[in-house]
Amino acid sequence: MWNFGLRRAGRLALGLLGAILMAAVVAAQAAPAAKGGLLHFIGTVLSRLAQFARLDFGSSAISAAPAAQELAQRLPATLELVAAGSLVAALIGIPLGVILSIGRVSRAAAPLIQIVAAAPVFCAALALLWLSVQVLHWDAQLQGAPDLWSALASGNGGSIREAFRMLALPALTVGAAGAAGVQLALRRAVNEARDAPYRRGLKMMGLSQFEVDRLYLVPQVFAGVLANLGEIALSLFSAAAVAEWVFGWPGAAVLFLKSVALHDWSVVALVLLSFAAITLIAEFLGSLGARALAGIEANP
Amino acid sequence: MSVVSANEIPRPAITIGGVIRAVGFIGLGAIGVTVGLSDVLARAPADVVDFGSPLITPSPHFPLGTDILGRDMLSETLHALAVTVTNAGLAAIVVVVAGGLAGFIAARLPYRIGFLLRGIAGILCAIPALLLAILLIGLVNRGLAPLAAGLAAAPLGFARAFDRARGLGQSRHAEFARATGISPGALLRRDLTYEFRDSFLSIAARALAAVTIVLSTVSFLGYGATPPHRDLGLMIAAARDVYFDAWWTAAVPAAALALFILCARLAAGLEEGERA
Repeated sequence: MWNFGLRRAGRLALGLLGAILMAAVVAAQAAPAAKGGLLHFIGTVLSRLAQFARLDFGSSAISAAPAAQELAQRLPATLELVAAGSLVAALIGIPLGVILSIGRVSRAAAPLIQIVAAAPVFCAALALLWLSVQVLHWDAQLQGAPDLWSALASGNGGSIREAFRMLALPALTVGAAGAAGVQLALRRAVNEARDAPYRRGLKMMGLSQFEVDRLYLVPQVFAGVLANLGEIALSLFSAAAVAEWVFGWPGAAVLFLKSVALHDWSVVALVLLSFAAITLIAEFLGSLGARALAGIEANP
Repeated sequence: MSVVSANEIPRPAITIGGVIRAVGFIGLGAIGVTVGLSDVLARAPADVVDFGSPLITPSPHFPLGTDILGRDMLSETLHALAVTVTNAGLAAIVVVVAGGLAGFIAARLPYRIGFLLRGIAGILCAIPALLLAILLIGLVNRGLAPLAAGLAAAPLGFARAFDRARGLGQSRHAEFARATGISPGALLRRDLTYEFRDSFLSIAARALAAVTIVLSTVSFLGYGATPPHRDLGLMIAAARDVYFDAWWTAAVPAAALALFILCARLAAGLEEGERA
C-alpha cells in the first residue's frame, strides 16, 4: 500500500507540475514580450514560472486586482455548487446504479437512459428552468448563489426556502451530470464483482448471499466508484461551468468564461490551474481509497 | 464434418449491441442525408427574418412554428443542423487524427517520447474539454471553433489509444513478432491496420458525440458559431429569453441536437450514461 501510495503521489506531483507549466504558458499570453518570437515566449513562460514559485499569479487585466484574489472570491461558490452537485449525484447515481445492475431492469431502462444521456448539460439546465417556472411557478429571475449558511443560521423559514430554491436547479443540473458517472462506475463494479470466482467459493464455505454481498461485494463496488472519482469530478466541474452560466451563479467557471472573452490571461491561467489541481487530487484520493477498500487499481 | 461445412466462414452472431449500433449508424446516415438536402428541404434560406409573424405556435402552415424574428423554425433548424453536423464532422476528424491515431503511434515512439506525450495528454484530460475548447478559441478566433473543439477532445482519445497500443505492444503476438525479427515499423502498421479496421467507426462515432456536445455548448455560451451561420447551440441560446412562453423555439433545436448525439452515441456503442 505504501509503495502504491508513493507511486500515486509521484504521479500527482508530476501532474501538478505539468498543470503549473500549462498555466504559465497561458499566463504568458498576457505579456506583450511573449509575442516577439519563440525565444521571447519561452523567456516569458520561465519568468511566469518563477513568479508562480513565489505564489505570485499576476494581476487581472480588467480589475487590476491580484488574480489569486479574483479566484478566491469566486472559487468557494463553485466548490459549493460542486459539493451540492456531488450530493445529488450520490443520491441519484447510487440507487440508479443498483437498480440498473439488475439485468432485466437494466435492459428495459437502457433506451431511456441513452436518451437522457444524449441531452447536453445546457439543454438539461434549460429544461429544469422551464419546468420550475411553468410547473412549480418559481421566479425565473431568482438567480445567483444563495447564502445558505446564513439562512440556516437565521432560522427564518422563508430565507431557508428561498436559499434552497436558488440552490436546487444548479445543484440538480450538476448532480445529474455526476449521477451518470456514478451509476456507470457502480454498475461496472457490480458486474465485475458479481461474476468473481471468490463469491462461489465463499458460498461453498457456508456464507449466505447477504453476508457475501455485505462483506465483499459492497466494498468492491464502492472501490469501483472511488477508482473513477477523477472522471466524476471532471463531469461535475464541466457541468458546473454550464450551470453557473445558465443560473447566474457567480463562480470560478463564469469568471473563466468572462476572462477568456476579455483576454485576461492571468485569471484564465489560475482558474485552469485550480480546476486541474482539484481533478488531479480527486483522482489521487480516489485511487488511494479504491486501493484501501478493495485493492482495486484506478484507471491509469 | 463435410468439406463444405469445414470451409464455411462463420457468420457473425447478431447481438443486441450490434443491432443498436446499426440503428445508430442508420440514424446518422438519415441525418447526413437530411443535412445534404437541407437547402432543398428548408422553405426559407438561413436567417431570413419576417418569413412569418413572430412566435407562431406550431401549425399546419408552420409545422415547428416561428421564432421571435418570424423565422421559420423548421428551416432554421435544418440549416443549423447542417452547420452543427459539418462542424462536428470536421472536429471529429481532428479527434481521430490528433487523438486516436497520434496516441497509437506515440505508444511506439522511441526514447520514451511517447510517455512524455501521454503525460501531457493526462494533464490536459484533467481539464474539462469544454473549458479547453473555449481557451483555444480565445487564443485564436471563433472561426476555428471546430478545430478547437477537436483539439480539446483529442487528449482523452490520445490517452485511450496510447494505453490500448501499449497493451497490444505487450501482447503475445507482439512478443512473437519481435522474436522472429519483424521490425517495429511493420508491427505498428499491422496493429494500426487491425485496430482501425475493427474500431475506426466506433472511435469516429464516439468522437462525433463528444465534439458535438462541446461545440454546441461552446456556441450556447457565445464562443462558437456566429450568425448567419447559426448552429443548434446558438439557436437554443437565442431562444433563452422567449422559451418560457414559446417552448418550441428552444425545444425544436434541442430535440434535433439530442437526436444527433443519441445516434452518434448508439453508433459508438457507448454504455448508458457513459461519457463520450
